[in-house]
Amino acid sequence: MAYAYLFKYIIIGDTGVGKSCLLLQFTDKRFQPVHDLTIGVEFGARMITIDGKQIKLQIWDTAGQESFRSITRSYYRGAAGALLVYDITRRDTFNHLTTWLEDARQHSNSNMVIMLIGNKSDLESRREVKKEEGEAFAREHGLIFMETSAKTASNVEEAFINTAKEIYEKIQEGVFDINNEANGIKIGPQHAASNATLTGNQGGQQAGGGCC
Amino acid sequence: MIEGMLYVLSNHYQRYVLYFFYYAMNVYSAFCGIPFKSGVCSLHNITNNIFNTTFNVLFSGQKYRLEVGFQAMEHLINVLQTDRSDSEIIGYALDTLFNIVSNDLEEEEQDDLEEENPQKQVDDLGRQFTEIFIKQQENVTLLLTFLEEFDFQVRWPGVKLLTSLLKQQGPQVQQIILVSPMGVSRLMDLLADSREVIRNDGVLLLQQLTKSNAAIQKIVAFENAFERLLDIVTDEGNSDGGIVVEDCLLLLQNLLKNNNSNQNFFKEGSYIQRMKPWFEVGDDNSGWSAQKVTNLHLMLQLVRVLVSPTNPPGATSSCQKTMFHCGLLQQLCTILMATGVPADILTETINTVSEVIRGCQINQDYFASVNAPSNPPRSAIVVLLMSMVNERQPFVLRCAVLYCFQCFLYKNQKGQGEIVSTLLPSTIDATGNSVSAGQLLCGGLFSTDSLSNWCAAVALAHALQDNATLKEQLLRVQLATSIGNPPVSLLQQCTNILSQGDKIDRRGSKVQTRVGLLMLLCTWLSDCPIAVTHFLHNSANIPFLTGQIAENLGEEEQLVQGLCALLLGICIYYNDNSLENCRKEKLKQLIEKRIGKENFIEKLGFISKHELYSKAAQKPQPSFSSADHMMFDHEFTKLVKELEGIITKAIYKSSEEDKQEEEVKKTLEQHDNIVTHYKKVIREQDRQLEELKQKVNTLKSQNEQLQTAVTQQMSQIQQHKDQYNLLKVQLGKDNQHHSSHSDMLQMNGIQPEEISKLRQEIEELKNKHEVLQGQLREKDSVIENMKSLQSETGRTEQSSQITAGLEHANELHRELEALRIQIQSQSSDISKLQSEKQELLQQMNTASVPALGDSTAVIAAKNSELEGRLLQEIKELKSEVKALSEEKALLKQHLDSSNSTAAVLQDEKSKLQQEVSESKKEQDDLLVLLADQDQKIFALKNKLKELGQPVEDEDDIESGDQADEDEEEDGEEED
Repeated sequence: MAYAYLFKYIIIGDTGVGKSCLLLQFTDKRFQPVHDLTIGVEFGARMITIDGKQIKLQIWDTAGQESFRSITRSYYRGAAGALLVYDITRRDTFNHLTTWLEDARQHSNSNMVIMLIGNKSDLESRREVKKEEGEAFAREHGLIFMETSAKTASNVEEAFINTAKEIYEKIQEGVFDINNEANGIKIGPQHAASNATLTGNQGGQQAGGGCC
Repeated sequence: MIEGMLYVLSNHYQRYVLYFFYYAMNVYSAFCGIPFKSGVCSLHNITNNIFNTTFNVLFSGQKYRLEVGFQAMEHLINVLQTDRSDSEIIGYALDTLFNIVSNDLEEEEQDDLEEENPQKQVDDLGRQFTEIFIKQQENVTLLLTFLEEFDFQVRWPGVKLLTSLLKQQGPQVQQIILVSPMGVSRLMDLLADSREVIRNDGVLLLQQLTKSNAAIQKIVAFENAFERLLDIVTDEGNSDGGIVVEDCLLLLQNLLKNNNSNQNFFKEGSYIQRMKPWFEVGDDNSGWSAQKVTNLHLMLQLVRVLVSPTNPPGATSSCQKTMFHCGLLQQLCTILMATGVPADILTETINTVSEVIRGCQINQDYFASVNAPSNPPRSAIVVLLMSMVNERQPFVLRCAVLYCFQCFLYKNQKGQGEIVSTLLPSTIDATGNSVSAGQLLCGGLFSTDSLSNWCAAVALAHALQDNATLKEQLLRVQLATSIGNPPVSLLQQCTNILSQGDKIDRRGSKVQTRVGLLMLLCTWLSDCPIAVTHFLHNSANIPFLTGQIAENLGEEEQLVQGLCALLLGICIYYNDNSLENCRKEKLKQLIEKRIGKENFIEKLGFISKHELYSKAAQKPQPSFSSADHMMFDHEFTKLVKELEGIITKAIYKSSEEDKQEEEVKKTLEQHDNIVTHYKKVIREQDRQLEELKQKVNTLKSQNEQLQTAVTQQMSQIQQHKDQYNLLKVQLGKDNQHHSSHSDMLQMNGIQPEEISKLRQEIEELKNKHEVLQGQLREKDSVIENMKSLQSETGRTEQSSQITAGLEHANELHRELEALRIQIQSQSSDISKLQSEKQELLQQMNTASVPALGDSTAVIAAKNSELEGRLLQEIKELKSEVKALSEEKALLKQHLDSSNSTAAVLQDEKSKLQQEVSESKKEQDDLLVLLADQDQKIFALKNKLKELGQPVEDEDDIESGDQADEDEEEDGEEED
């Protein structure tokens, strides 16, 4: 179970867009046509491999309902990645994206990778939001974009993995401070040793500040 | 005065007021003996403390408390809002608010005790103040911002105040914190504070914050609480740590208990592995402080939270597996078998082990293999069972052992079989050296201690649970009761004790023993017609049961009556009618006659109506407030639920219906038989299918292998073919080259060239030879000429000298002859070489021609054979080519040698030429000399003639010869 990195994800978006189903499809590889409303937040986890490295994904699936918004906001800060989901068969869920994005940008750390997901791509006949619109929105706001289907599992794997790839690249570029767990990234046990000195220095500085 | 003070509080003279308080209260406390809070020493803190003490003093009069509180709060909140920059004042204000909303420690404890008493309004004061404070939500959010302040003076009282607010009005305050942005997350930062006081009080704050609020629990977990808390526990020395460890453990329990999401997160975060060191408790008897016992107790409970039988089955089983794989279970078993462990820790450890192994095969198997470190080693199960049937052991410990045994057998057919087998005649250890589990259970079953009876009966029932095979097996068990008496079956002995139980003097309640035995019998007989037949075979049993049920006994006996009714019902329902006297209808008639249907059903209903029954039905762990309440087993309650309705139906059914049912049953059975038959067939076919599939798979793979081999071979053949074609083309070329040798075929491309070269060289050599011969001939003729000249000169008197020259010429001639012979031998060598070459060519020819014929034939026949042959032939050819090249080398060598001989010859020839020219010169010289001498001789002759002397030609010649030689030498020297 050793991993090189641990990334924390959150899944956000309007109620009923299929957030829990996406998570279930990703972690359990199954689809539940009738899913209870998520109360607050549910947790799921899975191991993936990027660049030959084991990466553990810890995913918090949030409730889409407005009443839980204050609870779900608490999860933005500590997440390294967010899947912002809308339903391609319901335009209103697409229209709410701006609000979601504002909320996320306001409460999260600035480096959080956001993947825009148009879910339910299997329901082509009932489509209300064109793929191009999703692409345009993503381009405009600097997000990665993908259309998925939690039902057919199309692109589900890719959505989670591509987000991880983006985070991984940011780590390689040194954008993320990997020693600050508040960013939603943790170095695995076998990698921690190499970073121990760095962490030690930072800890020392913090302690010094505390004395003043 | 109070109001005055409070007023002052709100203006900017407050600090002086506080200092005034400080001195005033010093004096005051000296008079009144109010103790300072311990551990506080700085001036500010004392001031602060005094300030609070002042309020406490003011509060101590209940009459004013409410009033003071109300008025003070308004001002204090005002201070908080307006004096944010002055941390000192904020600190005091927060501390004072803390004192207002919380009661003193002693009061608090009273609070807890008297909470249920609504008349104590005094204790609601803190709650009322809290309500006032949180009515304005901004107050709480303001407080949250103070908690972000790093200044100790502010942060610490802030933490304490918020903790108090949460204690007083948990749900409301939780809700406010939840909706304030990053409220919970900010509180999590308290755990990172380097000042232990704040960190520790932060833990207490989080304990209150997370109480029964799943949403907050999840956020706290999300903010790495597990990591932080586990770090603190480790840093503090695990179970050896102080109260901080206890607080952390309580918080962890809050986060995990009944929170599946957090449990999953805990497991996925590999935190279970970090629990293992908690239980690395030394085997020493010392060092079991009260704190350590508390800590360890909480640690064990945390383990249980993760594997609780009430969790979703999947979650529990994955945690159980992790606990085995990381060695946590092994560690727990070490504590289990260690000595000197306090009884309550041991009990909780047993309970924990129970739930870690429950229904998890690998863990159960491991547990079965655990041995106590005794001599000889005994299995842990035996050691535990010894405690269970030992009346001197604490009641809770015995319950824990029973639970452990039940969990070991839960869904564990293998374990059940192992336990039952220790009772079977074939496997009982005759030597009696070691006590077996079965022996201990029997001992418990028939001991004079009712608790042991009950526990043993329930334990044995668990060994039979849902296991028809073992139910039948157990019927074989025979017991030797006393010497001389015939052995009695276990079943018989149970019923004997049941019917004669009243006569035996025993400790504890007789009801408990009988209830235990009846539960065992019900479990044993249910779903096992053979056992029912065995039971009915004893004619005393049915009258006993009907007697028990029919009697009008006291309330205490109702439970026994109910269980007797259940057993009788089982005897009817699972009756296969193999005993004529005890067929279904007969038993039913008996009920109708002796007891009455209604009465029977009512008695049966006693069981599930019993309050202890519903308690036992709640959870698997046997937990009883006292030994008297130990009546029902959890698994048994399930059985009752299952059977109650069925039996009721069976009793109410008429015999006709019964018959019909019987028929239906029979046909069903037939169907079942057919179905099972078909199932068997299908299974067999499945197996065959599987086998065939495997065969197909192996064949497939074989086929694939073969195909790849074939393609490989094909490509090889193709290669060979190509090579062959290439060779063919080369052969064709060779043929063109050696048109004279039309029969010559395949040759290594280079060889013919070399041969032709050789030939050319030979040709050249021949030419040279010819030239040499020509030259020789010329020389011969020259010598001949000279000879003739000499002979001409020889006619003269001084021809002796010429003869010497001739002799010299002859020598030359001989040498020439020798040369000629040499050349001849060389030419013969050359011809030999030529013939050898010829032979070689022929050999090559013979080698290649049949091979060709063969290979073409073989190619036509079979690819593989062709390939083989081709390979072989190529090999042969190659070796031949090798031989040829060797021979070629030889030839070359020959050629070299002949070349060298030719060179030698040429050398010699040049020498000869030189000699010839020399001899020519000599001859010329001689000729000149001869001419000179002729002239001299002529002159001398003339002189002699003139003198009148006769001339003797011969003498002249001889003497002249000598002189001639001398002169000749001179001439040579002159040259």
